[in-house]
Amino acid sequence: MSVLTVAGLSAGYGDVDILSGVDLRVEPLEIVTIAGTNGAGKSTLVKALMGLVPRVSGRLEFEGTSLLSLPAEKRLAMGISYVPQVANVFASLTVMENLEVVEGVADRRGRIATLLESFPVLRERARARAGALSGGERQQLAFARALMPEPRLLVLDEPTAALSPALVHQVLETIRELPRMKVSVLLVEQRARQALTISNRGYILDSGTVVIADTAERLLSDSRMAELYLGDH
Amino acid sequence: MGFSLFANLAFNGLITGLVVSLLALSITLVFGIARFPNAAAGDVATVGAFAGLLGPLAGGGTLWIILCGMAAGALLSVAFYFLLFRPLAGKSAVSSLIASIGMAFFVRAALTFFLGHDQRVYPLPIVRAMPVGPLRVQPTDIEIVVAAVLALAAVFSILHLTPIGKRMRAVADNAELARVSGIRANRVLVAMWLIAGLLAGLSGTLLGVKTVVSPEMGWDLLMPAFAATILGTIGNPVGAVLGGVLIGLAQELSTPFVGFTYKLGVGFLVLLVTLLIRPQGLFAKNSLVR
Ligand SMILES: Nc1ncnc2c1ncn2[C@@H]1O[C@H](COP(=O)(O)OP(=O)(O)OP(=O)(O)O)[C@@H](O)[C@H]1O
Ligand SMILES: [Mg+2]
Repeated sequence: MSVLTVAGLSAGYGDVDILSGVDLRVEPLEIVTIAGTNGAGKSTLVKALMGLVPRVSGRLEFEGTSLLSLPAEKRLAMGISYVPQVANVFASLTVMENLEVVEGVADRRGRIATLLESFPVLRERARARAGALSGGERQQLAFARALMPEPRLLVLDEPTAALSPALVHQVLETIRELPRMKVSVLLVEQRARQALTISNRGYILDSGTVVIADTAERLLSDSRMAELYLGDH
Repeated sequence: MGFSLFANLAFNGLITGLVVSLLALSITLVFGIARFPNAAAGDVATVGAFAGLLGPLAGGGTLWIILCGMAAGALLSVAFYFLLFRPLAGKSAVSSLIASIGMAFFVRAALTFFLGHDQRVYPLPIVRAMPVGPLRVQPTDIEIVVAAVLALAAVFSILHLTPIGKRMRAVADNAELARVSGIRANRVLVAMWLIAGLLAGLSGTLLGVKTVVSPEMGWDLLMPAFAATILGTIGNPVGAVLGGVLIGLAQELSTPFVGFTYKLGVGFLVLLVTLLIRPQGLFAKNSLVR
């Protein structure tokens, strides 16, 4: 069974549809990239998955269960977690508090200990306010917070935006490891070329619809598409 | 102004300031988490002060007055949430603000309708003020300071040390991230309105202990409390408390110059000057809300 099934999805904030007729799926332990230009609707698509867009219609299923009638705060318990594009940590809370406030974690202490082992930087900064972290540290905290409830699908919205090239590499390596931890990944990226090198498949979104869907390999080798959508990253 | 007069005014300013701080903290918590300026906070304080009159039936003494006032404030505040502010939560902040103004007038009208305009006093023993250095201190002054400081300490402990308090701060910081972290807004809001009501009720009874109980007392307290909230950066709990103490000191220390009748205007003046010169308040950096 697919982890995530999206079919004929339309969504918008007001009367205008930002997304129309989007089809997409994520199979178990896949990494799937969504690429597209600024304003294509990538963030709107992942927010619709998370229940943060006011008007959504179509089919939206997680492991065969429809998510549409579930409020945002209950989707986490289904096993789907999310790192937003901006404001992805609680800036006025400490690193530790950012992890503590997440609901639906059975063994909170044990889980925090495990995550601090995976992200050792956070252990050193445990008492610091998240707002005082560097860009790289903050991104690690955003990942750790999202991984707290041991999700089966992690949705990431441009996790490498505004990071230095060395840090981009580090974040992509972290993502590459996720399927080994039994986590499937839906990844939104502007740096599509780099993202596709760690992905199984990719979708190109333009003006709110999927214009191309293919394996990462074929997307990377199609030179016409590369020119149009992947940029020089 | 002689030192002794100055010291006594400052001491009174501290007491007034703590009473203002409690209401300002109530307002700033509501603003930080429910995101609107709650104009009904003052009248919740008034209801608390009137409920304090029942204290002697329960057991007498300042403690029972305070407990009755806090319980009434909490009940009213949580009732407002379920009847009014929860249904309005999806609408703009203006609808909640207008509703809170309407509720403030309604509560005051109901109080005067059933209980009249008369001022009342708590039946506390009248005790001669003790000299402490240059200060003349009433035993009730000490009780007010102790009650206010304990309440403030309790609220800050809740916010920083308990799971529900940390979640309240998370919702204030970033409501959308809180939702996708599985935090149920409803539980956080009930806890917040409960604390806001306890604080308002306490503020009202302490003002009643210091002065008299009247239907207008809360409305008169609202302006300095709003001024304190904005001076201390709206949404910032520490700022609200410091702002309250500053406003209280400014009010009392200005009495020799502007007279007793006009000292309430001082809060209004501070509010205007803050809005014009530094609208983000004194403590913008540590605000709960960014
Ligand atoms: N909260 C909102 N209310 C109304 N319109 C919005 C809102 N958020 C986004 N939009 C609009 O939806 C469209 C798609 O925006 P979206 O943020 O989904 O694009 P994106 O592909 O994520 O872009 P970027 O690469 O810049 O992050 C844009 O036209 C944008 O103006
Ligand atoms: Mg986006």
